Amino acid sequence: MIPASFDYESPKTLNEAITLLASREDAKLLAGGHSLLPAMKLRLASPALLIDLGRIGGLDYIRDSGETISIGALATHAAVAASRLLLASSPLLAQAACNIGDIQVRNRGTIGGSLAQAHPSADYPAAILALDANIVATSQSGERVIPAHSFFTGMFTTALRPDEIITEIRVPKTAGSGTVYKKFHHPASGYAVVGVAAVVRGATGKIDDVAIGITGVAEVAYRATAVEDALRGKPASAIAEAAKHAADKVEALGDNYASGDYRRHLAQVYTRRALQEALSSKRK
Amino acid sequence: MANEERPTTTGFSVIGKRTAMVDAAEKTTGAGKYTDDLSVPGMLVGKILHSPYPHARIKRIDASKAQALEGVSAVVTGEDAPVTYGILPIGHDEHALAVDKVRYVGDNVACVAAETEAIAEQALELIDVEYELLPAWFDPEQSMKAEAEFIHEGRPHNIEKEYHHVFGDPEKGFAESDYVHEARYIANEVTHAAMEPHSTLASFELDPHTGKLGRLTVWSSTQVPYYLQHKLSLVLEMPMAQIRVIKPLVGGGFGGKSEVIPLEIIAAIAARAAKRPVKITYTREEVFWAHRGRPRTIVDLKTGVKKDGRIVAVRARVVQDGGAYCSYGPVTILYSGALLGAIYDIPNVGYDGYRVLTNKPACGAMRGHGTVNVRFAFESQLDEICAALKLDPKEVRQKNFLKPPCITVNNLRVLSYGLPDCVQKVAAASRWKERRGKLGRGRGLGMGCSHYVSGAANSIIRSDMPHSTVNIKVDRDGGVVVYTGASEIGQGSDTMTAQVAAEVLGCALSRVRVVAADTDLTPIDIGSYSSRVTMMAGNATLRAAEEIRKQIASAAARKMNCAPEDLVFREDKVLNNNLGARALSPAKEHRNAAEILETTDAPRGPSVSGRVEGQILRGSLQQKRKEEGPKDWMTFEEAVVAAIDFHGALTGTGSYAPSLDARGGKFKGAGVGPSPAYSYSAQVAEVSVDEETGEVTVHKVWAAHDCGRALNPVSVEGQIIGSVWMGLGQALQEEMVWKDGMLMNPGLLEYRSPSSVESPEIEPFIVESIDPEGPFGAKECSEGSLAATIPAIANAIYDAVGIRLREAPFTPERVLAALRAQKNAKKLNLTEGVDPTSPARFREHGGALWFRGKGPQRHPRDPAITGQQGSAGGDD
Ligand SMILES: Cc1cc2nc3c(=O)[nH]c(=O)nc-3n(C[C@H](O)[C@H](O)[C@H](O)COP(=O)(O)OP(=O)(O)OC[C@H]3O[C@@H](n4cnc5c(N)ncnc54)[C@H](O)[C@@H]3O)c2cc1C
Repeated sequence: MIPASFDYESPKTLNEAITLLASREDAKLLAGGHSLLPAMKLRLASPALLIDLGRIGGLDYIRDSGETISIGALATHAAVAASRLLLASSPLLAQAACNIGDIQVRNRGTIGGSLAQAHPSADYPAAILALDANIVATSQSGERVIPAHSFFTGMFTTALRPDEIITEIRVPKTAGSGTVYKKFHHPASGYAVVGVAAVVRGATGKIDDVAIGITGVAEVAYRATAVEDALRGKPASAIAEAAKHAADKVEALGDNYASGDYRRHLAQVYTRRALQEALSSKRK
Repeated sequence: MANEERPTTTGFSVIGKRTAMVDAAEKTTGAGKYTDDLSVPGMLVGKILHSPYPHARIKRIDASKAQALEGVSAVVTGEDAPVTYGILPIGHDEHALAVDKVRYVGDNVACVAAETEAIAEQALELIDVEYELLPAWFDPEQSMKAEAEFIHEGRPHNIEKEYHHVFGDPEKGFAESDYVHEARYIANEVTHAAMEPHSTLASFELDPHTGKLGRLTVWSSTQVPYYLQHKLSLVLEMPMAQIRVIKPLVGGGFGGKSEVIPLEIIAAIAARAAKRPVKITYTREEVFWAHRGRPRTIVDLKTGVKKDGRIVAVRARVVQDGGAYCSYGPVTILYSGALLGAIYDIPNVGYDGYRVLTNKPACGAMRGHGTVNVRFAFESQLDEICAALKLDPKEVRQKNFLKPPCITVNNLRVLSYGLPDCVQKVAAASRWKERRGKLGRGRGLGMGCSHYVSGAANSIIRSDMPHSTVNIKVDRDGGVVVYTGASEIGQGSDTMTAQVAAEVLGCALSRVRVVAADTDLTPIDIGSYSSRVTMMAGNATLRAAEEIRKQIASAAARKMNCAPEDLVFREDKVLNNNLGARALSPAKEHRNAAEILETTDAPRGPSVSGRVEGQILRGSLQQKRKEEGPKDWMTFEEAVVAAIDFHGALTGTGSYAPSLDARGGKFKGAGVGPSPAYSYSAQVAEVSVDEETGEVTVHKVWAAHDCGRALNPVSVEGQIIGSVWMGLGQALQEEMVWKDGMLMNPGLLEYRSPSSVESPEIEPFIVESIDPEGPFGAKECSEGSLAATIPAIANAIYDAVGIRLREAPFTPERVLAALRAQKNAKKLNLTEGVDPTSPARFREHGGALWFRGKGPQRHPRDPAITGQQGSAGGDD
């Protein structure tokens, strides 16, 4: 199918984009287009105005901001996956990014677009949650910092207001922790059937702190708090038992490819593997 | 047919060499034109309205609003062409556009021809169709129990065809067996997923004065231009001579374009109504609905063996879920029976095959037509028997080899049989003996074998006409044009044709141009399917080229004062075998000739030519050589000129019909299965299984294929590897998922065929058994390998973790379920259905873009919603 007709604007500055977005209710932002354009072709989305963020310069940075690393919303998955800065001081996001889709998707898709899309099987949300990252949303009323844990509100829905644009993602440095992203790829789409992001801080076999983000299982990515609680201050040997709680209290959703039960099962297995790997990767 | 008379005994110059495809450059640079790349002046876009119901009567179609929309030229419905057609003479049950009834979700109801795609889509929404819903059948075993509301009149119990064959005495065989194994195997439905979606452009000549329509030209993505011409003639009620079908480049067929697909006729109907050219290109979703893929197949299989593994008897009951139309169905179900046991020497075979209609898109021919699913069952069962009797699956296969030349119990003639070599090669390369069963838990090796026809010895059009005819024309500058009806669909048909012609004529490959698959220009050939092209069009080309060679030889012999029989054609020269052989050695004259060819006579290069005394001269070389008088060799071009001067324009024709003794038995259904020659394959797969998640990883596949003779080894290897990929897809992940007749994964974001990206290492081995009937000994190489891959993987999984998977594909969920059953562990609910009508629970197709509340939409009166479903007995 071909999309319904729409107007198109390509603002050169963030301010122009914000003004345009505020001026029209039926407008949509266009970043990499890898979620939006297919939806438009299926007529699942029919915005009357597309505001292309692609011409706004300087929104695709990845830079060191001291405690954190700041990532511009237009940074592509490929740029995140290859960032030396991230790989050196906060590799989890890069580990997730290199697992997204295929080369074309990674070259076009953006971190801002992926987070705004909030696809239940997207990879970034798991990592963003595990890192306790912050998402900066900008509108005419200024900047708002949204912590990851309150950003994803449901399937394809976020805490973003209609007039807000994601401009930056701030991730803490994870020096001293082991991080791992483990993913079970859907054979066709490449999306996560289950994706587990783990950050483990600890010394020789003991876990001081741990954060686990899980995507693909439920309507929306979540923190596996039951597993985290069961592991803080515990020896590595506790992982196997704790991981069994990876999908406690979540309503797992199924589709043609994998039932909810199977996803729940995968979450447990992948959580255990991610934790064990994170702990050993840390020790290296 | 004595091949020894052909230049097979001497070395080859062109065939057997790793040769780039003749159309590789245009395809890789994007210069090549596929149907959808074409446009003609005044062309409209056609869009088809599809049925939202699996089974319904059409009460009324009101297209007036669509018709009135600005930019719409025509709206056509079933009334515009109510003649039925079908690919088989016994299966004319399709209408291009539905008349009275629709029979699957996606069936074709109406077509709009409009100025733009957007207008056409808009117009579709304005067509008002009133349906009366009928009970629908989705499961073949349920459908067979139907007592009323049959999908087609004249097909009671929705059985399209059933066949019951008995060869030898299976019951006695089982009684004499030491061990009998019985099990049910299921292979779920898969589709071709060719890269190029179907596309057709239809254009009528229009008399500018009378406004009357004249001849019709159709460009279409087809494997079978002549069948298309025939069916167009039938449905449009026009003589075939008034229809020209041209096949542009085709981006893959795999059987999905081997019969007439509705859009091909609909485009012509719409063009007739609009009096303007119409092009229709399917969306990917429509490609899935058009389907004609491999049916879901239920195989109840029983095999009896002696203690040593010698097979005594086999009995199979096969039920195929054929979908809503006949298509190639009877052929598919017959192939399943004919090829079931004929790969080995099995004295007693019983077969009951049922092709059943259901309210889903029609299944048809798909790579390895009819053989793949029964092979999966058979080769798996053989492995189960070996496990039970503690025998080596390789040795058991070796015990059961045919001893050719022979005729199998079901009357198939086997002259060449490379299976022993194939098994030997893959066993050696995989270090089968040392490694099978010894790789530790979680990793294993498995073997599977398969075979396939090199074209059907009896054509579906039931005529004694040769299956292929080829014309060759040679121009005065030595340019060779081969006219063949065979369809290049990416498999290398044109390259094979050019190679065979060049080999016989001893000329440079670059001299040969292939004009193919244009019904106005090329003599009839029944198309590219059942792996028939190399055997049939190859043989026809060989004969046409021989005829040309004879003409050249007689003229050249006169010039060279020798007998035509003394001449050999090689390396772009015609040489007196007694004298001229030194021209081929690195002697001085050879180098000279080569240099001369390079500088003044580069084939197909620009040349200066002029007419002098009735002869075209190029520079002064030919004049000089002409004056020299009798010689011991001539260039190919000189010889051609001599021949044209002598005979007039140089043309030759060759044709091929399978030899009579290859045409099989006389029983009902005996027509399907016989082939001039069979290919053979053996494969070993190495896999590992993640026992916690059920994921299967294929690490390597060793694949040996007996193709008779590899005319182009790189092409043969490509076909072997491609077959293995397709087998991998069916083994591990490809499955059409249905819900109430609705296809749940009609797109490539949900349905994945493996590609180079996820390919394991595949090591192809070519086995050459030199078939007496094949051109230079060649036979099939494009389909046979596929069927070996699936059981090889199933058997490797068994070797790895001891579970037997009898339902393909072996998805992680199925593998995990089997592992849990093995350990008596708690069952996971692994078969949770997804309800498309309740989108809250319907999250997405593996990541595709169904947003909340916006799943596929159903009509409020759909039986799936109103609950009439149950009474239909449908259950998938
Ligand atoms: C074949 C395929 C495979 C894929 N596989 C994966 C996978 O494995 N894992 C995965 O995580 N993803 C996958 N994706 C999705 C991909 O990562 C998308 O790129 C991503 O989801 C959206 O990013 P985008 O830049 O393309 O956004 P767009 O498609 O341009 O926009 C998506 C949505 O976000 C909004 N938006 C965009 N930018 C902003 C912004 N700065 N602020 C606010 N709203 C914004 C848009 O208005 C739109 O609603 C796949 C996509 C495809 C086509």
